[in-house]
Amino acid sequence: MQYGFHFDGARCTGCKTCMLACKDYHGLPSSLAFRQVYEYGGGSWTRHDDGTVSHDTFAYHLSGACNHCANPVCVRVCPTGAMHKDDRGLVSVNAARCIGCGYCALSCPYRAPKVDREAGHSVKCDGCAGRLDEGREPVCVEACPLRVLSFGPIDELREQFGKAADLAPLPPSDVTAPSLALTLPAFAREHPDRVAAEGHVLNGNEIV
Amino acid sequence: MDGFATAFSEITLVLFTTLAPSGAVGYVLMSLPVLLEWATGEARVRLNRLSCLPLGVAMVGLIASATHLGNPANALYVFTGVGRSPLSTEVFCAVVFLFLAGVFWLYAFAEKPRTGLQRALLVLIDGAALVFVAGVAFAYQVDTIISWSLPLVPATLALGAFMGGPMVALAGWKAANCAEVPGCKSAAKGLVAVATAAFALSLVAYGVLSVQLGALSNELAAMADLVPSYGAFIVVFAVVGAAGLVAAARAVAADLAPRPVACACILVFTALFVMRFAFYATHLTVGLGV
Repeated sequence: MQYGFHFDGARCTGCKTCMLACKDYHGLPSSLAFRQVYEYGGGSWTRHDDGTVSHDTFAYHLSGACNHCANPVCVRVCPTGAMHKDDRGLVSVNAARCIGCGYCALSCPYRAPKVDREAGHSVKCDGCAGRLDEGREPVCVEACPLRVLSFGPIDELREQFGKAADLAPLPPSDVTAPSLALTLPAFAREHPDRVAAEGHVLNGNEIV
Repeated sequence: MDGFATAFSEITLVLFTTLAPSGAVGYVLMSLPVLLEWATGEARVRLNRLSCLPLGVAMVGLIASATHLGNPANALYVFTGVGRSPLSTEVFCAVVFLFLAGVFWLYAFAEKPRTGLQRALLVLIDGAALVFVAGVAFAYQVDTIISWSLPLVPATLALGAFMGGPMVALAGWKAANCAEVPGCKSAAKGLVAVATAAFALSLVAYGVLSVQLGALSNELAAMADLVPSYGAFIVVFAVVGAAGLVAAARAVAADLAPRPVACACILVFTALFVMRFAFYATHLTVGLGV
């Protein structure tokens, strides 16, 4: 059974409640985040001769964490086997085996694993495994005020929401086969060429 | 975001990849007079006993790399990933090389060592040393790290090892008083030639790499922003490396005089360090990793 997340890009307002709930629940310092919200956009403003302005800008938000990939590069490169998939298909760190070499953090295209230098090992989203054991949802899913995030068996999520898994700024899904189902933002669905040509991360300085 | 932060955070790996591959190649080159029987008698004994010098260079690098680990106490688990994780394979190759070289070094102090056995061991160790260099070169060949999986990246590490290795071997030969060994002077010239060829090929490789790297970007950074001074790194490498090779040539002309040998080692290793630092600064994955 492979579990995963669904993200509804048509609903997300970028409020970052998911991100903060995650940091709060896991007690993360400002330098670490298991979930990040990317503001993605492009386009420009034009001032006309009559003094008015028009624009063709676009923007959307993407809340991303570890996607518990079917082909996780962090697991592949981990020298000790500390990075592993559990029986739910969730990728997590066995701190008792991790040497804190950081190879997982260097190789992940989603910036999911981080090395906690104080703890001496890698840390990352584990799908709130402890909460799952209690029959609850991951804290980010529960905290989202707009019900943007869902969590469950990825096959069921794909059946319910579709199989889309590619959305900038995420890497192409064929790289690591993320367990992620996406509902694309309206603009990305209707104007994929403009997103590809003009889009960029607008809040790069916030990303840790 | 800039690449310097990554390079500084991995500074011990910069040191490791500067020293260890050169130490391994230096070991191979330093052992050639014994292996090919140019050195006999006391000279052979001195060379065998001083094999600890290139071994020490490699070990300093390896120890430096261990200091970047968050929890070295779990290091033995690394061997569970041999063949799967390039890093495990690299460490395994290092351990095999260091173990065999350590055994050889201890045996060099035997009262009546068997020279045939020593030469057989050297063949094994030299092979292990070269495999270790390949292990280091391919340690970060992962398809998601677009800047480090370029085909020329492992080549630059190997070329660096063949630039630094001859300097280590020159220092080793000097320490073992090899100037008196017949054919040593021409062999020393050969070492400088090997280092010079590796240097020239490195310059070409870094030139091509700078073009390839310049075209790379992901959603968070472009290489031009990450390492805007990559060209300057190459210039420093070229100037300092060339000065080191001139010092090496002078050392050979002066029968391995200690000062030019030391100068050559310092300058060449400085040049290698600069480009290893640049390598870690260029870390970039597909997608979002910087």
